[in-house]
Amino acid sequence: MNRGFLVTVRFVPCVLLVLAVGSCQKKPPPAVAVDDTPRVAAPAKPEAVMPTIEITAAPSTIERGSQTTLSWKSTDATSVLIDGGVGNVAETGSLVLSPTESTTYTAIARGSGGSARDSTRVTVVPKSVAKLAVTDIEALQRAIDDGRVRPIFFDYDRALLSPKSKQVLEENARWIKRFPAATVIVEGHCDERGSEEYNLALGDRRAQATRDYLLDAGVSPTQLEALSFGEERPFESCHDETCWSKNRRAHFAVKR
Amino acid sequence: MPPAILVFAIVLILMLAAPTGMAQPSDVRIYPKARESTRLAVADFVARTAVTPRTRTAAKVFNDVLWKDLKFSAFFEMPSKSFYPLKPLRSPQDVSFDHWQAPTLDVDFLAFGNLHVDAAGAMIEGYLYDVKTRQQVLGKRYSVADATLIRRVAHQLADQIVYQLSAGTSQGVASTQITYSSLKSGSKEIYTMDYDGSNVRTVTANQGINKFPDWSGDNSKLAFVTILPGSARWQFWIQSLQGGRNVIPTPTSYVSSPAFSPDGGRIAYSARGRGHSNADIYVRNTDGSGDINISHHPAIDTSPTWSPSSRQIAFISDRTGRPQLWLMDADGSDVRQLVSEGGHCDSPSWAPDGRHIIYSWQAPKRWKHDVYIVEVASGKIFQLTSGTGSNEHPDWSPDGRHIVFQSTRTGSKQLFIMNADGKSRRQITAYGINESPAWSGYLTRP
Repeated sequence: MNRGFLVTVRFVPCVLLVLAVGSCQKKPPPAVAVDDTPRVAAPAKPEAVMPTIEITAAPSTIERGSQTTLSWKSTDATSVLIDGGVGNVAETGSLVLSPTESTTYTAIARGSGGSARDSTRVTVVPKSVAKLAVTDIEALQRAIDDGRVRPIFFDYDRALLSPKSKQVLEENARWIKRFPAATVIVEGHCDERGSEEYNLALGDRRAQATRDYLLDAGVSPTQLEALSFGEERPFESCHDETCWSKNRRAHFAVKR
Repeated sequence: MPPAILVFAIVLILMLAAPTGMAQPSDVRIYPKARESTRLAVADFVARTAVTPRTRTAAKVFNDVLWKDLKFSAFFEMPSKSFYPLKPLRSPQDVSFDHWQAPTLDVDFLAFGNLHVDAAGAMIEGYLYDVKTRQQVLGKRYSVADATLIRRVAHQLADQIVYQLSAGTSQGVASTQITYSSLKSGSKEIYTMDYDGSNVRTVTANQGINKFPDWSGDNSKLAFVTILPGSARWQFWIQSLQGGRNVIPTPTSYVSSPAFSPDGGRIAYSARGRGHSNADIYVRNTDGSGDINISHHPAIDTSPTWSPSSRQIAFISDRTGRPQLWLMDADGSDVRQLVSEGGHCDSPSWAPDGRHIIYSWQAPKRWKHDVYIVEVASGKIFQLTSGTGSNEHPDWSPDGRHIVFQSTRTGSKQLFIMNADGKSRRQITAYGINESPAWSGYLTRP
């Protein structure tokens, strides 16, 4: 499913590029550029003048599918050409582009005194899944930190989900599904009263029950991992029910 | 002898004799039964030549370790050193046997010797004499290149004495080791140490959580489970003490409580199969091949322990609702419940003699655990620990005469050793949190 999505994304910029380039080429050079020519070659300045040109791209590195703005400025030019598939342009101007590959844009200004050129390179990096995932990971981490994705609690030596826990898990599932690039670790925990081996297995049973409920609520299995910590990581460290009830839990961590 | 001193001496003798003369609970005793009549004297080992500070320090350590080892072995009555003749015993010609047969001592055997320590190392001569026949039973000379190995020499001599005087019942546990899991600085790592708590060595330093170590039959490897930092699954490691490790592949994120079979070929552990919702007992060969789920039950099955014959496995299952002690053949057949007292059982360990299993039990509605022993044939149960704190995770010494366990009786989880009848308890760790001890097999040959 994810793969199909990526392929679609990859096609979109190609289409955009064709449209962008096409529209540029159709646009006639602005009249100003032509009209200026007589002034440049004015009799008052009979000697030939060397043109100058400067071209920049901002940003100079883009992800495939994103846009960059090419800006140029020339003086004493009669014509300005930008190669790299752009063509003739006005003396000064800017253009929004979405190249699919890294491209060097060279602007050539011709004037009475000769020609000048300047280049800028736009580096295109693949649309990175990591970059996307960092965003989802951070967003889900924020949802956990802000208490929108909440832990659930269990009775002593039980892994049954209470109606309240199920309600919490429904909400958690909605949040988790919003960030498909993030993977959630469902952690099962126990209070200190049971033995260590049994608690490791009981924590596993709690994590599994929680994970199964999230799957039923529509979360993709690729987004879920389950892990028991037994009694290794208590929330609270006192030795009575006020702490124990907080330690018998399944909680959620974002896989890094 | 003035009457007052005589009376005092008799009272002292009575006091010393009292613990052994007192009837033990008839159903719980050290087995094999201690040779109650064996009285042993262990004279302080003395400097062979000039007494230097180095020799004095070494002698103090040596005498302390040897005395505690022999005392802990629980084979001997050891009269107090205050009754000993004052004359130092360097070699057999220094011994006046009549003195050691005086009524206040009346020992059957006498151990003594000398040591010499210099920059090049240490040399120790040890003797064991039968006081009645005045014959030498044992004469040993040890030489070590490093004076810090003096403890090891004391352990080896203690084991020799135990082996000689127990008629081969025990090879002595003084040279054995204990592996355990310890939380000292943020991570829970595996360590080994001498049975008395000295000589701690690091096995893992992976900054993760490392738990439930167990010794291979030849004591060359440890199996345990580990979760590395940032990982979302438990891993099953078999680590060689000489370096190098094998990560055994497991199907899911849960694996726990590995146990080597005494015959050395197989390893049992608790794991969850893919698509299963609960832990089962698995057995595979130690080379990693032939993984078989032998318990196959939709309940939690964990904490396997092998019978000494490697033909049966005891384990913990909550198939009746609460974790209880169960038995099955090593192929998964003939499953039956051994303990059904309710409450919460865990950490069973099968005794080397095959007749008993020790385990921890938490009574219903309480949260303190204690160590219990069940006779496999009859199902009779006896309590071995009591008092404050939780006492858990018992394991047997290789001669089946002692038990190591963890206890919170001093506040934090620490390790203790005691006799198999619950007596002579001795704390062997003091810092950090120390848990899930496992006692090695015999590490030296008699």
